[in-house]
Amino acid sequence: MAAGSPHRRAGQPITDPFATAWLVEDDPLRAIQVGGPLRSPPGTGFADGIQRWMVEGHFGLAPVVRAYVAAAVLTRRDGSLAMAAEEHEEFIVVPGERLTTEQRDALDRVGLPVYESDTSARVHPLVDQYAAARIVETRRETAERKAVRRFVDAEPTSWLVMDGSVGHLTGGPGAERVIGLVKSHETQYLEGADLLTALTLREGCRSSVFERSRAGGTPVYSWYLRLWPWTERDLLHGLTRLERWADRTTLEEATLVSRWMLGERAPISTPDASWDRLIYPIHHIETYLRARMGGWN
Amino acid sequence: MVATELLPSSPYQFHFWTATDATIGIGAIVRVDDGAGRIVHAVIVDGRAYSDLPTPLHEVVAAEGNPAAQPPPTRRVEIRLWTAAVLRQEPPEPVQPVPLATVHLATESDVEIALRMDAYVRAEPSTAIPIGIYSAGGMRAPVYLDADFLLGPESAHLNINGVSGLATKTSAVLFLLSSIFAHFPRSKGQIAAVCFNVKGPDLTFLDQPAALTAADREMYAALGIPAEPFKAVRFYAPFKADGVNLNTLRSHPDLAGSVEPLVWGLREVLDFAEVLLNRDDIDAKADAFLDFLGDRVVGKTFRDEWGGQHRVESFAGLERLFRAIFDGLESAGGRDMWRTHHVATIRKVRNRLLNISTRCKGLVTDDDTAHDLPFGAFDDRALYVIDVAGVDQLGQDLVFTRVVSKLREHLERRDLGVDHVVVFVDELNKYAPADGPETYVRRMLLDISERGRYLGLVLFGAQQFRSQVHRRVVGNASTTIYGRMDSDELAMPGYQTISAATKSKLATLPKGELMVRHPHFAHPIFLKFPRPAALAGRQGIERFPPAPDVPFGEAVARQLRVLDRRIAASGVQDLIDGHREVDVRSALLATRRARPRDPLAFFAARLRPSIPRRTADGGDQSAVQPLKPVEDPYAP
Ligand SMILES: Nc1ncnc2c1ncn2[C@@H]1O[C@H](COP(=O)(O)OP(=O)(O)OP(=O)(O)O)[C@@H](O)[C@H]1O
Ligand SMILES: [Mg+2]
Repeated sequence: MAAGSPHRRAGQPITDPFATAWLVEDDPLRAIQVGGPLRSPPGTGFADGIQRWMVEGHFGLAPVVRAYVAAAVLTRRDGSLAMAAEEHEEFIVVPGERLTTEQRDALDRVGLPVYESDTSARVHPLVDQYAAARIVETRRETAERKAVRRFVDAEPTSWLVMDGSVGHLTGGPGAERVIGLVKSHETQYLEGADLLTALTLREGCRSSVFERSRAGGTPVYSWYLRLWPWTERDLLHGLTRLERWADRTTLEEATLVSRWMLGERAPISTPDASWDRLIYPIHHIETYLRARMGGWN
Repeated sequence: MVATELLPSSPYQFHFWTATDATIGIGAIVRVDDGAGRIVHAVIVDGRAYSDLPTPLHEVVAAEGNPAAQPPPTRRVEIRLWTAAVLRQEPPEPVQPVPLATVHLATESDVEIALRMDAYVRAEPSTAIPIGIYSAGGMRAPVYLDADFLLGPESAHLNINGVSGLATKTSAVLFLLSSIFAHFPRSKGQIAAVCFNVKGPDLTFLDQPAALTAADREMYAALGIPAEPFKAVRFYAPFKADGVNLNTLRSHPDLAGSVEPLVWGLREVLDFAEVLLNRDDIDAKADAFLDFLGDRVVGKTFRDEWGGQHRVESFAGLERLFRAIFDGLESAGGRDMWRTHHVATIRKVRNRLLNISTRCKGLVTDDDTAHDLPFGAFDDRALYVIDVAGVDQLGQDLVFTRVVSKLREHLERRDLGVDHVVVFVDELNKYAPADGPETYVRRMLLDISERGRYLGLVLFGAQQFRSQVHRRVVGNASTTIYGRMDSDELAMPGYQTISAATKSKLATLPKGELMVRHPHFAHPIFLKFPRPAALAGRQGIERFPPAPDVPFGEAVARQLRVLDRRIAASGVQDLIDGHREVDVRSALLATRRARPRDPLAFFAARLRPSIPRRTADGGDQSAVQPLKPVEDPYAP
């Protein structure tokens, strides 16, 4: 059955393996001992989203994909996580150009929003599915963005840690309070000695801050942080990349923010396979959203 | 509510979760309503809590091996998962698994339905007997037993167990008795209770008020039971060995005259002499000889073969007959049979009978004067307390057997004075032990537990360890109450049906809380009850310290003063001087029994003139002397 997320499986090619970085804090890149864990500020929010899709059927060769996305921001009070903002959407994705009017009408009668995916000139079922998955991913990002925006607007002093890149949140009101916690290292921005320094950081150390390239968007500052010792394990074990808006304060606060993230190592997010790079509140959002998804399990 | 493949819901059990701060626990009653007409009531029997931590090792990793590490900023998600056992499903048919629906804490009316109390609480007349207050999550509801199932005829008997002092067994029974007296429907007849006081002062102040807390009074009010001591209590106790001081701790001067003597003569003892025999004795045809004594000798004129004429009315008379028989057989060349009875059997019966008259001196008199319970004139809602705490086991067995047998006899003939009697036996394990030799007492208790409900004879038994009481005696009790329990006892096979969580609750149950099984309740229910409104023994002897024994003459005078306050000790002393104590006692009992208008004159008249026969050491020659020459082959 064609279902699941478009996350890459081992052995599949990486679409964007390399990108560019400009050093902004030190040249060459340095490893900096941050000085042990600290409690994140009270009221900090944590954001993540989920997505699920499955091919429900076909009109001819055209796949009809039904999808569900959800996003949530949780905050922590006295150690317990509580819902602060939530978004979800269930919808249908089809290669619109290849459907007849009758087929479109039939879909509209289902009562769910219908999104159209890109169509290539020649038909390829896997490419069609991939195109649908891209739409699903965009919808999830939209849901996340909405939930995060609601939280940032409602809590004008709270920090927010989101799963993945800060991306589009580098501008606009509240951007200074948003931290991206990236755990996949598909795209490498550094090279040479800088890359060596970044990928061999010791536990509790961060790299100098650099600016990473971002296609068509505002600039983003980023740095690496090692949460758990990696020796005798994988090079990437416990390695995270943090992101914030491109501002002088990001340089000033990189050590502090790194210490907050070290403070979030416990409790660990097992049984999640990427527990070494995941913090518990974000792991919990996924559990929470998946539980609320009901029949989509 | 949750139901998964691993934790499915069934017609008798289901699972649900709550917030970690929900105010429910083991024993709480809940309601499931599927909105389509099916309503299920259930009681929580188990609870579990766990977090999303897959293995404790991960916590070690997170704390980097340091147990003293600062607690993590986020608490793991935790679940409170409860298991509930179904009490009632509506509609009852068809039997179906519990529907998946929201679970609510039961309201007061839910409790009534869940425990199937609606049928008898709302009946006309109501047979509901309040037993305590169920409470959970801030809600309180009275719980009732059904008199038809507690006191017959549907089922009957109650058994309560739990550790000493903490289980509040005696207190619970006393509370329930006052509840029964307040609520037993008049239309079902009259009811009385007989309690055997077997432990110190336990039940000897039940006519006196106890100190109650405001919370206790609130419970009494909620249950509609007056918070008062028993209104009609009659105390009975045998005498001490001196035959005039009563063998009870209720001897404070302020309570003088409130204890009736319990005194039996040969006639009363002989009817129940079987109690004194064990199985070997019965095989040895001792019962045949006893029957012979009862039918042909006692109270009749009896001629022996050696020219003697006997009129046996007392132990002393019986002893004279035995001596005549043994002497006669001796003179006849040592024959070993007398009228189809073997001399060894005769000797044994003699030893058993005379043994009781020496061991229970204050209970058994040498002469024919007896003072007994008012069989035939029992009062409605009266409590008869028989204090045998100071009597040895043999005497207790005898009192117990005779009283219960008489109750039974009178109930059978419907001339006891009341239609129902509750007999409260504390330390039931002593009278109906699970193992050990077959005894008359145990057989009698078994018989009551099996047939008593048809007669209106109801057994309330208490003991620390249920496992130590005969299975059928506890098994026949329709209502079982558990106070705080011993954990070793709970590990016995008899408690297998109780969940581990319920057991651990039982092992730590606070005073005043009980778990109750009753035929209408599909599962045992936890509830609270108030302290008894009647004074407990321990507080009783503090308020009314026992008076020291007084000399013979003074004791006699006191007893007579109960009948006439003006009687002076000196006058009594003058009257009894020169009389044998046994005759004085006899005259005293006769006076007490007759309650004449002029007690002193009556007493004086009953004091038959007699020739003092005193030995140098003052011992009474007429007392039974042990037979020395022949050994008792049955002696232990
Ligand atoms: N409803 C109650 N609430 C709180 N305490 C109580 C309650 N009833 C009795 N108690 C207290 O519990 C103690 C023990 O009570 P009780 O003598 O009834 O226990 P028991 O189980 O009969 O003990 P034993 O096995 O020694 O005879 C007493 O001190 C009494 O005051
Ligand atoms: Mg007791």
